[in-house]
Amino acid sequence: MERNKMIRTIVIVAIIVAIAGYFASGVYQIEPSEVGLVKRFGRYVRMAGPGIHYHLPYPFESVTKTDVLTLRKIEIGFRTVSTAPLTFREEQEESLMLTGDGNIASVEAVVRYRVKDPAKFAFKVLDDYTLVKFFTESVIREKVAGRTIDDVLTKERDVIANEAAQKIQELLDELDAGISIQGVYLQDVSPPEQVADAFYDVINALQDKEKLINEAQKYANDVIPKAEGEAQKILNEAEAYRQEQILQAQGETARFLQVYEKYKKAPEVTRRRLYLEALEEILGSQKDVLLLSQSGQLSILNLTDIERLVGGGEK
Amino acid sequence: MMAKIVGVVIILAVLFLVILPSAFFIVDETKQAVVLRFGEIKQVVTKAGLHVKAPFIDKVVKLEKRFQMYDVKPDVIYTADKKNVVVDTFAVWRISDPKVFIESLKNLAVAKTRIDDVVYSHVRDIFAKHQFDEIVSEKREALLQEVTKRSKRDLQDFGVEILSVRVKRTDLPDETLNAVFNRMKSERYQKAAAIRAEGSREAQKITSDADRQVRIIEAEAQKKAEELKGEGEAIAYEIYASAYSQDPEFFSFWRSLQAYRKAIPGDYIILDERSEFLKYLLNPTQ
Repeated sequence: MERNKMIRTIVIVAIIVAIAGYFASGVYQIEPSEVGLVKRFGRYVRMAGPGIHYHLPYPFESVTKTDVLTLRKIEIGFRTVSTAPLTFREEQEESLMLTGDGNIASVEAVVRYRVKDPAKFAFKVLDDYTLVKFFTESVIREKVAGRTIDDVLTKERDVIANEAAQKIQELLDELDAGISIQGVYLQDVSPPEQVADAFYDVINALQDKEKLINEAQKYANDVIPKAEGEAQKILNEAEAYRQEQILQAQGETARFLQVYEKYKKAPEVTRRRLYLEALEEILGSQKDVLLLSQSGQLSILNLTDIERLVGGGEK
Repeated sequence: MMAKIVGVVIILAVLFLVILPSAFFIVDETKQAVVLRFGEIKQVVTKAGLHVKAPFIDKVVKLEKRFQMYDVKPDVIYTADKKNVVVDTFAVWRISDPKVFIESLKNLAVAKTRIDDVVYSHVRDIFAKHQFDEIVSEKREALLQEVTKRSKRDLQDFGVEILSVRVKRTDLPDETLNAVFNRMKSERYQKAAAIRAEGSREAQKITSDADRQVRIIEAEAQKKAEELKGEGEAIAYEIYASAYSQDPEFFSFWRSLQAYRKAIPGDYIILDERSEFLKYLLNPTQ
C-alpha cells in the first residue's frame, strides 16, 4: 500500500512537471534591436517588442524574430576581405559599367537598408539580400548608362547615388516589401584599372598645364617690375643729366659773364692776364717743354727764357 | 476502475497524436498550400492558419508565397545595329495561383526553367530590335517594362506572377571590351596631350606678353630719357649762346685757354713753333 502511494505521487509530480515544462516552452526573449512576430497556427496575430514575453506552446503559437534596427549593408563591385586591417577586393564583374558615351567606368557602391515593416519583411520577401542587391546593381547601372564617363567620375556622383536610392525605394515599394533604403553610397568611382594610367595622365597633364602657367606668371611677375625699375633708373639718370647740363651751362656762363664784365672794362690787360695764368698753369705742370723748330730740331725750352720773354713784355 | 481510466487515456493519446496531426495542417504566413487526394487537387489554401483535411488520404503540398528572385543566366544579344552585348537579367516573381502552378509546372525546378525560357526570349526579342545606344541608356527602363508586361502575360497561365524584370548588367564581350579600353586609352592620351599643349600655349602667351611689356617699358623710358637729355642740352646751349654771343671773339679766346688747360697733361710737351697753340706763346704781342 505504502509503495503504491509513493508511485502514484511520483507519477503525479512527473505529470505536473511535464505539463509545467510544456507551458514554459512558450517563454521567449526579444533583443533590443528586434521585434517578435507571433503566429497562431502559422497565422500572424501580434507583434512583441524587446523584453521577455510568452506565447502559447507548440503547436498553437510560434514566434519569428526580425532585426528591425540594424542597418543591413550590401557591397556592390567590391567585397570587404577583412576589417582589421581594412582590405577590399574589387569585383570587376560587378563594378565595370557601361557609360552613355560608350566608355566603361568602375563603380563601387554600398547600399544600406533597414526593415520598415517587420510583418511584410518577414512574410513577403524570401531573400532580402539578393532582392536589394539585384535592384541596386540594376538601378546604378541604369543611371551610369545615362551619363558620360566624365560626369560619372566627377560631378554626377552624388546625383547618381541619390537618384538610385530613390529609384530602388520606388521599386521596393511597388513590391510592398517592407524595406526602407537608407542610402546608396558610391565608394570608389574610377576608370577601370585597364585604362587607369591614361586617365591619371590627363590629371597629370592638368597639373603640368597649371605648373607651366604658374611658371610663366612667375616669370612675368619677375621681369615686369624689374623693367619698370630699370625704366625709372634710366629716367632718373636722364633727368639728372638734363639738370646737370643746365646747371653746368648756367655755372659756366655765369663765370664767363663775370670775367667778361671785367674784360669789358680793361680788355687788353685782362686778356693778357688770362693768357698768362693759363700758360703758367699749363707749363707749370710739365717738367720739360720741347720745342720743334721750323728746321725740325727739338730743343728744350728753358723756362727762364719764357720768363724773360714774358718779362720782356708787359710786366 | 484504474484499468478503465488508463485505457481511456491511452485511446485519447492515440487519437491526439495520430488522428489530429493528420486531420489538421498549419499554413505559415510565408507559405500557401494545395491539398491533394490521390493526385487530385481538393483544396487550395492561400491564407495562413489552421486548416482541416481528410486524415491519412489527403496530402498537403506547401508552396512558397514570398517574392523570389530568378537570375537569368547572362548571354550575348545582337542588337539592331549589329553590336554584341552581354545582358544579365533577373526576374522577381511569386507563385500567384498554387492550383495552376501545381497542375502545369509540378515543382520549382520546372517552374524555373519555364521562367527562364519566357523571360529570356522576351529580353532577346525586344533588345534585338533596338540599337545598342538605346539599350545602354536610361531608355532601357521602357524596354524592361515591355519585357515585364509580356513575361507577365505569358506566365500567368502557369500560376506564376512576374513582378519585375530588370537588367542587372549589360556588358561587352571580352573582345569588344579590349577594343573599348584601347579607344578609351587613346582618347585620354590625346586629351592629355591637348591639355599640355594648351598649357604651353598659355605659358607662351604670358611670357611673350611680359617680354613685350618689358621692351615697351624700356623703350619708352629710353625715349623719354633722350627727350630729357635733349631738352637739357637745348636749354644749356641756349644759355651758352645767349652768354657767349655778347662777345664771340673773347669767348673763343677764353674758351681756348680752358681747353689748353685740360688738353695738355703729362711730363713733357713738344710744341711746334708754328703751331696755333704757340701763337701767343712765342708772339705774345700779336
